[in-house]
Amino acid sequence: MSTGTESEVEPELTQPASGTDEAELEALLGDRAIAREEHLNAPGFVINPNDVQAVLSDLRDEAGYDHLSCVTAQQYEDRYESIYHLKKFADPTDELSIVVPTTTENPVSQSAEPVFRTADWHEREAYDLIGVEYEGHPDLRRILLPETWQGHPLSKDYDQEKPQLVTLTEHQNPIQPDHREADSDTMFLNIGPHHPATHGVLHVETVLDGETVADVEPDIGYLHRCEEQMCQSGTYRHQIMPYPDRWDYVSAGLLNEWAYARAIEDLADVEVPEYAQVIRTMGAELCRIASHMLALGTFALDVYGEFTATFMYTFRDREVIQDLLEDLTGQRMMFNYFRVGGVAWDLPEPREEFFAQARDFLDELPAKVAEYHDLITGNEIFQTRCIDTGVLEPDVAKSYGCTGPVVRGSGVDYDLRRDDPYGYYDQLDWDVITRDGCDNYARVLCRMEEVEESAKIIEQCLDLLEEWPEDERDVQANVPRTLKPDADTEIYRAVEGAKGELGIYIRSDGTDKPGRFKIRSPCFSNLQALAEMSEGEYIPDLIASLGSLDIVLGEVDR
Amino acid sequence: MNAATTTPLQSDVLLPERLGDLTGLNEFGLAGELLSTLIGAVIVGSLILAMTAVAGPWAKRKITASFTDRISINQIGPAGIGIIIADAVRMLSKENIIPENADRPAYDLAPIVIVGSALLGFAVIPMGSGIQLADPEVGLAFAFAVAGIASIGLVMAGYSSGNKYSLLGGLRAVAQNVAYEIPLVVTGMSVVLFAGSLQMSTIVEAQAEPLVDLGVVAIPQWYALVNPFAFVLFLIANFAEVGRNPFDMPEAPAELVAGYQTEYSSVYFVLVYLGEFLHIFLGGAIISTIFLGGPAGPGPAALGIVWFTLKIWGVFFLTQWLRSAVPRVRIDQLIEIGWKGLLVLSFANLGLTAAIVGVIA
Repeated sequence: MSTGTESEVEPELTQPASGTDEAELEALLGDRAIAREEHLNAPGFVINPNDVQAVLSDLRDEAGYDHLSCVTAQQYEDRYESIYHLKKFADPTDELSIVVPTTTENPVSQSAEPVFRTADWHEREAYDLIGVEYEGHPDLRRILLPETWQGHPLSKDYDQEKPQLVTLTEHQNPIQPDHREADSDTMFLNIGPHHPATHGVLHVETVLDGETVADVEPDIGYLHRCEEQMCQSGTYRHQIMPYPDRWDYVSAGLLNEWAYARAIEDLADVEVPEYAQVIRTMGAELCRIASHMLALGTFALDVYGEFTATFMYTFRDREVIQDLLEDLTGQRMMFNYFRVGGVAWDLPEPREEFFAQARDFLDELPAKVAEYHDLITGNEIFQTRCIDTGVLEPDVAKSYGCTGPVVRGSGVDYDLRRDDPYGYYDQLDWDVITRDGCDNYARVLCRMEEVEESAKIIEQCLDLLEEWPEDERDVQANVPRTLKPDADTEIYRAVEGAKGELGIYIRSDGTDKPGRFKIRSPCFSNLQALAEMSEGEYIPDLIASLGSLDIVLGEVDR
Repeated sequence: MNAATTTPLQSDVLLPERLGDLTGLNEFGLAGELLSTLIGAVIVGSLILAMTAVAGPWAKRKITASFTDRISINQIGPAGIGIIIADAVRMLSKENIIPENADRPAYDLAPIVIVGSALLGFAVIPMGSGIQLADPEVGLAFAFAVAGIASIGLVMAGYSSGNKYSLLGGLRAVAQNVAYEIPLVVTGMSVVLFAGSLQMSTIVEAQAEPLVDLGVVAIPQWYALVNPFAFVLFLIANFAEVGRNPFDMPEAPAELVAGYQTEYSSVYFVLVYLGEFLHIFLGGAIISTIFLGGPAGPGPAALGIVWFTLKIWGVFFLTQWLRSAVPRVRIDQLIEIGWKGLLVLSFANLGLTAAIVGVIA
């Protein structure tokens, strides 16, 4: 529960959440914790804006909260607030929210960037959209909106109705500067926003010293579609679910839908029928395979050139999954299949045909994966290109909040499906894949092996679904027509998307629409690590590293 | 060179002379000779350009499609062959966009240099059926020399476009061509040691003798069979020279957008694109001539041009295969392979060949 204004806070009132030794935390924070809050997912401590760095570094070093999952900023009637959602890579269920309120008149808070590098972009986004300023931030500029934008769209005093035109002339012309400094011998190169290797509209500002990359800075926001704001103006029950499909739009739709479904189901206390959970698990893993296939194919494009056979091979195999998903959901891309409390409908009739198709796919998959290993990972040239390039050390990956195959390719054993179980995952037999290579090759292998693990999950789901008694096939729970969670209930819930930890933060305001809806995109955090991975390497390695991060700009920019 | 090669065996009459005889132009002295040479050049040029026209818009698509599990063009004419005309109309009717920062006339000359250098190379290639424009004593050296001019065209295209991607592509092209031209020429020299001549017709003739006589079939003394090691070296160096996978660095789609050709459109683009194919075919022609017996093949000698074309297309097919299947090496790896690998191997090959030829002789 939120504490309202700071003066009303009574720290002793809160109940201890499971998994966290609150007494120890209180002792660690001491006087710096000026109040307590309770979020549904985690205990919260309110701290002063000047203590952010000290508190976060203590929590990281002493208490082991080494994963800054997300930074949510929001404006109340009387204050601004930044919430740092902390987790442990070793145990993501052990969560902690650090709430930093600032006054409306002077919304300045200390930056967390020196402690967690991932805070860099997250705080820039908070500044851009909400208007909280972060003292000591190395580069507090707008990130999603053009730099000439007026006002902060998610703040209270912003006029949503008034259109703004940002002309190219007042916008900084990215083509202009040839050199960052007049007398330097480096070359400034714009890779993107229209470039074959940026996988969408990404603009990478690159400084080259010959063929060597001296400096890299991704410039994002070209695909910003105000997804958070749109979700805030939709009702929980039906109007939000279609949006997640549009974040990571390359066939990972069901995984995204699950992120919202999980958050709202925990917020509104909805129990999902087991049968629906099995269908969800199967659908989500189909999406994961499709997404990893695409990642593999486009990575091959980056390393091979545009005429490679691998790309078409992966698309051929992905097409089979697309057909299955189309049969299941009625759509190829924007599935909108999950509902609050279940899924839209049962498996397509005749069920035997669907099962047969799905099993055919699973039967053929091992041969196809073997073919990919022959074609791609077994190729010596591919190995010389990918091994020891784009190196991302585990500590750096953690500091940047990288998740998914990116962090697992760096040897960090972190998978929310196992560590923070949801759906039907904890009752199935499968493994989390990790690789110690930390390089582009490790990330590719990681995805390829995850495809096989997903196939194992799907196979078990199919067995379960086939034998499920006919009269127990409930696809939806009984959910009220209008959902109105209690006012000021806060929750942050994440699922393992195709790219990593996809989290949703919701604060309810007592109405049937969220008061604040924040999306934690895995690609957004992963992309930040690009500079670390590619500086000092050659342009081809920069391109390969970008490909190995497997970003989707729809999810980065939201 | 020994004395035998200085008085070359001119068993075949060159194409211009024969044309002169046929048309009676020879009677008009120098002017007539010039005219018949010109006609011969037009014939050879049309032949080569026709091949590239088939290769560029049609065969390349079809080959790539079959490697990548697609159908590709199939609507215009049988198997979509009519796309050649459609594409020609499309490409030529597009607006020729010339960037503001382009450095003219270098920008305009580059496509001509790229195409011209490749076409010049075909002048000395004996294509069989009596099709050869000239047969100078330094034929092979001439072919290498004019093919090498292409790198100047690439650099011109790269720097004059006023585009940083083009510049990077141009720079890569030079680095690559310098690194791979030396192994190419050195490996070519090992063939010259066998044949004892730089003259193309002599090299072809030298390969006509049987290597092994099996009674029913005689396996000819093609240098690809005599020295397969040199053949492989030459093939690899040639792929780098024409800039094809795994060595397509100057273009490097996905990295450098399209490298030196990024800013070319319409007719200029057609020329640059054409130049690329011409260079693949010229590479194929040189390989066929010095390693695969040139126009030699079963059947009457008149079929020479058919065999020769087949061999060139074989090399072309190989480049497309590699393009579909093999990753691209990184620029520093490419240079390393060139200077540390191929160069050493090619000199070893040359030394070994010299020793063997010396012992046998």
